[in-house]
Amino acid sequence: MTSTTRRDFIRTTGAIAAAGALPLSLVEMAFGDTARNFTFAYISDAHIQHISATKFVRNWDRGLIRAVAETNLLVPKPDFVVFGGDLAQLGSKAELDHGAEMLAKLGFQTRCVMGEHDYYLDLGEYWSNLFGPQHYSWDHKGVHFVVLNSVLTYDDWTFKRWPTAEQRMLEMAGLDNPNGSPFMVGEAQRAWLGKDLAAVTKDTPIVVFSHSPLQKIYKGWNFWTKDADEVQAILKPYSKVNVIYGHVHQIQYNQIGDIAFNSVMATAWPWPYPQSYAQAQQTLPKLTVQMNRADPFFERDATGWQFIDVNTGRVAMKYNLYNNTNRIVAFDAVTGRPVDKAFQDPSNRIPPQDHY
Amino acid sequence: MMRCTHVLAAAILLAAAPIVSTGAGGSPPLGLPALEAPAGNPQTPEKIALGERLFNDKRFSATGTVACANCHDKAKAFTDSPLRVSEGIRKLNGTRNAPTVVNSAYFTRVFWDGRSPDLEDQSLHPFVNPVEMGLTNHDPILKIVRTDPGYVKAFEQVFGKTGNAVTMKEVTRAIAAFERTIISGDSPFDRFYFGGDVNALTAAQKRGFDLFVNKGRCVSCHNIEQTQALFTDNRFHNIGVGINSIQADVPRLAGEVLKAQATAAEVDVKVLSDKKTSELGRFMITRGLDDLGSFKTPTLRNIAVTAPYMHDGSLATLREVMVHYNNGGVTREGDHVNDFLSGGIRPLNLTDQEIDDLVTFMEALTSPAYAAPAKRAAGARQEVRR
Amino acid sequence: MIRTYAIVILAVLALVAIVAGLGPRADEFTKQDLERWDKEYMTVVNAGRTLWTSPALGTNGVACAQCHPNAANTHPETYPKFQQQLGKVIALRTMINWCIQQPLEGKPLEMDDPRLVALEAYVAWERKGVPMAPGKH
Repeated sequence: MTSTTRRDFIRTTGAIAAAGALPLSLVEMAFGDTARNFTFAYISDAHIQHISATKFVRNWDRGLIRAVAETNLLVPKPDFVVFGGDLAQLGSKAELDHGAEMLAKLGFQTRCVMGEHDYYLDLGEYWSNLFGPQHYSWDHKGVHFVVLNSVLTYDDWTFKRWPTAEQRMLEMAGLDNPNGSPFMVGEAQRAWLGKDLAAVTKDTPIVVFSHSPLQKIYKGWNFWTKDADEVQAILKPYSKVNVIYGHVHQIQYNQIGDIAFNSVMATAWPWPYPQSYAQAQQTLPKLTVQMNRADPFFERDATGWQFIDVNTGRVAMKYNLYNNTNRIVAFDAVTGRPVDKAFQDPSNRIPPQDHY
Repeated sequence: MMRCTHVLAAAILLAAAPIVSTGAGGSPPLGLPALEAPAGNPQTPEKIALGERLFNDKRFSATGTVACANCHDKAKAFTDSPLRVSEGIRKLNGTRNAPTVVNSAYFTRVFWDGRSPDLEDQSLHPFVNPVEMGLTNHDPILKIVRTDPGYVKAFEQVFGKTGNAVTMKEVTRAIAAFERTIISGDSPFDRFYFGGDVNALTAAQKRGFDLFVNKGRCVSCHNIEQTQALFTDNRFHNIGVGINSIQADVPRLAGEVLKAQATAAEVDVKVLSDKKTSELGRFMITRGLDDLGSFKTPTLRNIAVTAPYMHDGSLATLREVMVHYNNGGVTREGDHVNDFLSGGIRPLNLTDQEIDDLVTFMEALTSPAYAAPAKRAAGARQEVRR
Repeated sequence: MIRTYAIVILAVLALVAIVAGLGPRADEFTKQDLERWDKEYMTVVNAGRTLWTSPALGTNGVACAQCHPNAANTHPETYPKFQQQLGKVIALRTMINWCIQQPLEGKPLEMDDPRLVALEAYVAWERKGVPMAPGKH
């Protein structure tokens, strides 16, 4: 594309984005050296669920199939794809294999993040066979990327509490299960993170991929990372940190210091916002404009995937939702936090964003 | 006392807002909501009559042989049944099945892919589509309406305009006004559900109605509500018709659509001439991934007399339609389901009896005005069954 | 005149009867009754919770709790209401059946099935304290 076409696209995309129809091409903003602008796609929480023999829950299968097919249509192409965790529902080989088969149709390099539904059957052994290390980092076009396994928990719960691995997986699989246990990154990984970041300059943009939120949002549903404060302290010295997390199956965003937090959608099914649980004491980051409510007749409603613009070292999340208005949550340089491009102003809200 | 109030209310409504109605006392047909004409195009009897004339005028085509009524024939419930796709001048074929005009006034977007925002805009396009009326531009139409004595008089009477003040705006407004009178309800279903006549449906049709709402999963898109039933949700869905045949081509075709900066007129021509691209449906208009392969939910009113079915006319009978839905969005069981299928479509596990019941329920959606073709169609089906 | 006398006499008799402990009484129940009934009630709520997390209601292994943790997003306080998915006003239990039939791909329960009552009881229990909002979409 010539630079003239790019400028035309910026004009058109602005209007179209406001109208709610998300264009496949991206808004490009100044990154100094424009060759450093890039995008990547993010697919997460597929929850491929085995029923029996070769039967899987068709609803979740369709979600991943569609996200992969649409990602392959992106124009211009993303640099890579991240899978954000919970590929399987109960961590079985059948589920991980079936999910990997679908992910293999992506025409891009794919990096994977561990989710608790992948982990607690065999502590990630089969997953690692398929996808590699559970925490790692790499650099790309001047941005430092880190993947954490943030769904670990107390050793006691992991190794001693349950008589079988299957039981352990089942207990962790229930979001509202009172027998669950809080997520954490853990001392070992925090030490590794500190060492990994030591070589990174303070103004290098950093993007951390994590399944759990690296914040404390609602403990009852494990929208929670127990050592969030410690992890945030390790990230604090850096001026442009972005945390992208899965697990919550809804749009959330927040700003703590210089760290911008953005959640990703699930391809499988949406979750209620913690506020809608009447018996809970919890806070949702106030910055979040909630996603549109789902119509459960349409199986893909309030699910989706996203592609992420990295420019000036900050991310713009472009949520591709189905039967639903697409959304853009982008870091706003003026206010210094992520902002929903269309709906942040309360007077712009629409009825489906009213959750109760 | 009640009837007086109704008439009074109707009179007030008629005075206050231009409500279209064909029912007695100013109320809409049984089963339909009140229809309001847009503020800029109120209904008058003279405008409606003018619109009907324009609708039937074959001179508005390159060969002088094609009018709106060719593909939207009153005798065929305003379609060209049994044609799969419509034929324009010189019997040129398009790619899409002619939707019925009956109750089209209730759509919020017009055409299978919703590329027109209203009836006034819709009628502009077929005149200048190469496979429909085939005119290069609207000038030949304007020449006729500005010089034909009957039209001159009518346009002056209806719009107070003569000569060059008569434009396509006036022409399309008259046509739309006529189309807004083509509404009908009061089918056996309406009499059963809204009219309280428990005998209006047969036992099989009542079973079919229950399936329609529950196991068949039909009602979420083919809406029936508490006091009226449009049988459409005015939304667009990929139900696996047409797109299934171009699955391998979707990446290439979708990429072309995204890179092209097509105008509305170009899209109108392309969807009726390029069969493969036309299967992308509403995606061609919105370029939204959510709309890949999606088409508008048509109304099911009078569906028994408007065969064949789907945007490409590819399903000949209601039974074939039900088999497609029962298979979960493929016409042949076992075919690959397209990646962009609507989340509302999935295998239904209906038995043969249940499929029959649903078909016979749909036959109860025919309004009395169009029931005669229904009897003929039913007769034809009997022939086929033997 | 006679009627007035009759009323007065009856009233006096009633008063005497009440004072003597032989007349009509309001319903009486004790603290123990309340405790026992609450336990009875909670067995049904707990049965509802068990069903809520059980893959046995449907045929595809999906449980209510997967999309509705702690029965969140079920809005029992809004029923009966116009349910968009069905196009008519329905009660909560009809919607529970819809979910069993649609996302869970199971067979809807009979209206008087004790499982349906248990599910409703659990849903309402998780939502206690929320004011009624009938008809809210």
